[in-house]
Amino acid sequence: MTFRRFLIKRIVIAFLLTLVSVSIIFVTLRALPGTPFSSLVASGGLSGEQVAELEAQYGLNEPIYVQYVKYIQSLLTLNFGYSIAESRPVSAIIYPRLLNTLVLLVPALITTAIVSSIAGLYAGWNRGSAFEQGSIVVTTFFRSTPVFVTGIFLLVIFAYQLGIFPAFGMRSPLDNPQGAIETYFAVDFAKHYFLPFVATVLYYSGDFLLLARNSVIERKGSAFLTLHRAKGLTEREQLARAGRNSMLPLVTYFALRMGMLFQGVITLEVVFAWPGIGRTLVQAINQQDYPTVQAAVFIMALAVIVMNLLADVMYAKIDPTVEEGDL
Amino acid sequence: MSLLEVEDLKITYSTSEVDVHAVNGVSFEIDDGSNYGLVGESGCGKSTVAHSVLGLLDDNGNVEAGSIKFDGRELLDCSEQEWQEIRWEEIAYIPQSAMDSLDPVMSVGAQIRQAMHKHRDVTKAEANERVEEVFDIVGLDPSRTEEYPHQFSGGMRQRVTIAMALVLDPDLIIADEPTTGLDVIVQDKIVHKLLEIQEEIDSSMLLITHDMGVIAETCDDVSVLYGGKVMEQGSTDDVLKNPTNPYTMGLKNSFPDIEEFDSQAVSIPGSLPDLTREPTSCVFSNRCPFATEECEREHPALREVENQQSACYHVDRVEELREEAVDPETWGLDPVDQGGREAGDVILETEGLTKWFEQGQSIVDQLMGREKDYVKAVNGVDLTVRENEIVGVAGESGCGKSTLGEVIAALQTHTDGEIRFRGTPVEELLSGDSKEFRSKVQFIFQDPFDSLNPRQKVRAAVSEPLKIQGVEGDEITERVRQTLADVGLSPVDKYIDSFPHQLSGGERQRVAIARALVLDPELLICDEPASMLDVSLKASILNILREMATERDMGIVYISHDLASLSQITDRLAVMYLGQVIEVGKTREIVTGPRHPYTASLLAASPNVDPAVDRTRVLLPGEPPNPVNLPEGCNFAPRCPKATEECRESEPERAAWVDEGHEAACYFPVDDVQAELLDRYEGATDAAGTTGEELPQEQGSSAP
Amino acid sequence: MSTLNMDTDTAKDRLGDLWKRSRRTALFVLEDNAAKLGVAILAAFTFLGIFGPELAPYEPIEHTMRTEDGGIMRMSEPNDAAPLGTTTYGKDVLSQFLEGARPTFIVGFFGGIGTGIIGFLVGLVSGYFGGRVDEALMRLTDLTFSLPFLPMALLVLTFVTPSIALITAVIVAFFWKMPARVIRSEVLTVKERTFVKSARASGAGHFRTMFLHVAPNVLGIGFLYTAYAVAWAIAGQASLAFLGFGDPTTTSWGRMLRQVFASGGMREAWWWVFPPAIGIAAVTTAVFLVGRAFEEVVNPELRGDE
Repeated sequence: MTFRRFLIKRIVIAFLLTLVSVSIIFVTLRALPGTPFSSLVASGGLSGEQVAELEAQYGLNEPIYVQYVKYIQSLLTLNFGYSIAESRPVSAIIYPRLLNTLVLLVPALITTAIVSSIAGLYAGWNRGSAFEQGSIVVTTFFRSTPVFVTGIFLLVIFAYQLGIFPAFGMRSPLDNPQGAIETYFAVDFAKHYFLPFVATVLYYSGDFLLLARNSVIERKGSAFLTLHRAKGLTEREQLARAGRNSMLPLVTYFALRMGMLFQGVITLEVVFAWPGIGRTLVQAINQQDYPTVQAAVFIMALAVIVMNLLADVMYAKIDPTVEEGDL
Repeated sequence: MSLLEVEDLKITYSTSEVDVHAVNGVSFEIDDGSNYGLVGESGCGKSTVAHSVLGLLDDNGNVEAGSIKFDGRELLDCSEQEWQEIRWEEIAYIPQSAMDSLDPVMSVGAQIRQAMHKHRDVTKAEANERVEEVFDIVGLDPSRTEEYPHQFSGGMRQRVTIAMALVLDPDLIIADEPTTGLDVIVQDKIVHKLLEIQEEIDSSMLLITHDMGVIAETCDDVSVLYGGKVMEQGSTDDVLKNPTNPYTMGLKNSFPDIEEFDSQAVSIPGSLPDLTREPTSCVFSNRCPFATEECEREHPALREVENQQSACYHVDRVEELREEAVDPETWGLDPVDQGGREAGDVILETEGLTKWFEQGQSIVDQLMGREKDYVKAVNGVDLTVRENEIVGVAGESGCGKSTLGEVIAALQTHTDGEIRFRGTPVEELLSGDSKEFRSKVQFIFQDPFDSLNPRQKVRAAVSEPLKIQGVEGDEITERVRQTLADVGLSPVDKYIDSFPHQLSGGERQRVAIARALVLDPELLICDEPASMLDVSLKASILNILREMATERDMGIVYISHDLASLSQITDRLAVMYLGQVIEVGKTREIVTGPRHPYTASLLAASPNVDPAVDRTRVLLPGEPPNPVNLPEGCNFAPRCPKATEECRESEPERAAWVDEGHEAACYFPVDDVQAELLDRYEGATDAAGTTGEELPQEQGSSAP
Repeated sequence: MSTLNMDTDTAKDRLGDLWKRSRRTALFVLEDNAAKLGVAILAAFTFLGIFGPELAPYEPIEHTMRTEDGGIMRMSEPNDAAPLGTTTYGKDVLSQFLEGARPTFIVGFFGGIGTGIIGFLVGLVSGYFGGRVDEALMRLTDLTFSLPFLPMALLVLTFVTPSIALITAVIVAFFWKMPARVIRSEVLTVKERTFVKSARASGAGHFRTMFLHVAPNVLGIGFLYTAYAVAWAIAGQASLAFLGFGDPTTTSWGRMLRQVFASGGMREAWWWVFPPAIGIAAVTTAVFLVGRAFEEVVNPELRGDE
């Protein structure tokens, strides 16, 4: 199978997965009792007629299959409809939040991937050393503790008790920056940024550290490193080769983690009141704002599928031993 | 002064519980420009010695005593940095398993260049030039230097490591089992290359191997190691021709010669000495048929006997021992009457048996109805097995012989053709209850270390087939005990409650045999049952099989790449090449008069234990083509010096040449192997220089 | 079915072997200091999970702590009456902590075991049979991977009143894929080993081969991932509770954190934050510390050079 055909196959699978995922989201939302507006009637906010009108506006009175087709159509064209709670296009709500999430998470993930992987390589090479033991225990703590608990610890200690960092949000309440540069390149932003950033870095450090450590240990006794050593390579050069050979699982893992980022830190965004997509989702669920919920869940699912696809493709491209025939 | 002087070297490995004394006082010297062999079975310490010379011992290995002097310089005093300078510049290394010794994510050229940049101040262009040069020397295509290891076949990867060892013109090359795991023809070509190169660059070589034949053909001097001790030392001619140590005698006699049908190979009973303590008696005394009380005192020092040195108390009776050591009974093997078997009724018959494996079957491809590629592992095989007959299937790795075995045993389905068991098609026997068929056809696998479930005791393993057949309680116990005794695991009580990991390789293979025999099968298929065992154990496994064939009227299919064991045990032989049987007939007739050029080449490539025999190497060009795209006409034609247009256009029938049951699929059967094949191979290689472009080269790893 | 007649001999062998192996493994794991600490924490947690509510000095929700002058003891620092202080509503933190151990324990225990068993079976069947069965099951895991746990769980729990059983079920439904994948790839290796072929050659049926020959050799990894699943279940439950989707009728550690966060008590009441936070962190970390030491035993690649 050539690379092209492999790519096509993967893309088809990813597309089908997306379709099935959004269908499940649709079914979950519709199969549950009541429509989004029935609760509004119950709470006395709207009259029955108003609800019927609204339902017509949102197409909820049409046959279910028509709704389904429309729903799929609009999702695939990234048209998320109108938010019920905020009466403005969902995309206008979601996209800025998505950007905020990415600004927080992508640098954090890259930082932890690089730093922890290098530490892991070193730990694996020096198996049994105090550094290895210590780094494993410390990162195991941060990796296994739910990220919002770590966030709460940081918050209580550094924001409330010591008062070094602000506790909430992305900027001070009085600030009103204009444009991306003012928003993201400001001292105030950096201060708000620090704690959630650290929490994310710590949370993901353990996975990369252990993965790097384990793959170096697997390779340490290998015949090809013995040959490198026999050629007269220094310890550090040997470690570099072991590291190069461990790149593949690390890069793949990085891509997978990237895809699952959004779901991993919903609670963290809530703790730090970070105006990202995760916090928006939780708010939308609480307000029963279904178009927004749909859009947020869809984006999260799509991220996983796309990054999985990317991981597969990268795997095939990076590893010279994956032959075209094996794909 | 010698180039390398190893003196009274002692090395231990510390594990969490005990120390293992791997090397217990080994001394030897290698002269400039000479080849030195260290020979011995697994666990004798030969690789440990090799690694210590390069300072490559594992972290838990410690040199307790002794000295290693290279060019007069004490290596054991070197700092890590000094080691790094010596390595490769002066001592290069050819690793044991070329399959995984090359860095998988670095092109082979870059790996060789790395060695140069490390030690010499060269530009990239200069380095490249040199890499191409050494590629050319070892017979690799110089345009392939930027390819990755997985793009080369096993034999070619070994050539890459040899090229790497040559690149800095070292004074000493340490070759650690350089040909183990390679097919015999490839091995012959590699050995040829090694010797040729070494002559050219005038370096010394330390060759480590378990194969007496390779030593006999390559080394000037040799040390025979056992239990971390040198048992015998001297010039190869003397040691192998007139061994003076009982261990050397046993080892030598366990390598049968292909054409010696009448002498039976020996096997050394017992198992390796306990090396968790320093040896207090002769290390070989517990397995030596000549051991006396004297031998229990301490390990004997090397003493002069004839032209060599031997560590034995009985050097005064060498001639007598030598005579007795040839007789298998000395080593506790019952003599087996070889020729007296009469084959009975036909048990198994295959007709046009075919097994193709699909390649890359994806949903998308299926939807699009694309044509599939097939690996033609077994491609139209006719084979007959009778009662009381051992049929051998010979061939190199990837020729489809193992697949054939599994297909016959219905462990895999077949694509086309027919298998008849006692006249009934196998499909019929398998439809509905397959139990009966399973009780009649049994299989013995290659790897004794993996063929028993690690969580099952011997009792459970051997009784499982009976339970599946629904045999009841007491009868199970009785039959299990009887079968264990039959395969030589006695006293039975010692073994029956053991777990596999408590047994040695030979014992495990016996358990596997017992598991197969406990149901009294009519047909037994053995896939390389002895190939992973040390040579000194092989003969006893072959003996059991032979005995069982005679006693139980079974038919046995014996699959192997090892022509020597095949010629020892089988009555008839089928030689396979690329999924087809290209020659079949009585073993004796094929071995003494092969007709197919491939069979003839295969037989001629087996190394000879006798150093005096001067054999022409089989420089058969190329490698077997990819079994996906087979050539038109005869599969062997692209490599055959006798091939004509006819061979390339139409495929010869298997019975293209017939002489009373001896058949060969060849239009131009061989008469004079030397003149028609070997001389021509040599000529072809000289002319082409490298493996010719038009020859089929295996591109990747071999077929599944 | 004749393939099922596991006779007593085999059973005894198996159990004896299993017992010996577990002992050996346990001893090896306990050589690791971090694992020792982990075991101690888990033992304490199990104890709290079973007896915690009985030890609570006050009813954690009904009982309101009062000061000597009869007022509600709101947001009080640790004192003699309430050793861990009180909440905004004047409830005893210690009692809530002890009471909250049980739901955490139940969800962790059953969620972990359910995840482990389902994942093990799916992985075993998928890896052993291969082909279409494998393709179907693996696409199913792909699908559950792309349906993110928290958002989907939140959606489901919006409409259905959360209860401990439901939360456990949701957790199992989303987490079985992890062990399933690992077990499957392990089964793929074991399946290729000769003794499995040998079992087939001696006439063993699929059922026998799968459960007697393949399963015992991947059991170690199965246990390991069951242990990890316990930690995931605890973390998952705590996250749900923290977001306000916990069982409203019970006190759990996650719910305590929810209350302290929602009430704004975090600002000063560190005594209210730390017990549940440390509880969750300690238990999940302990599981991973023990699991990691165990992994050094079961992962052949790490064991290699020891």
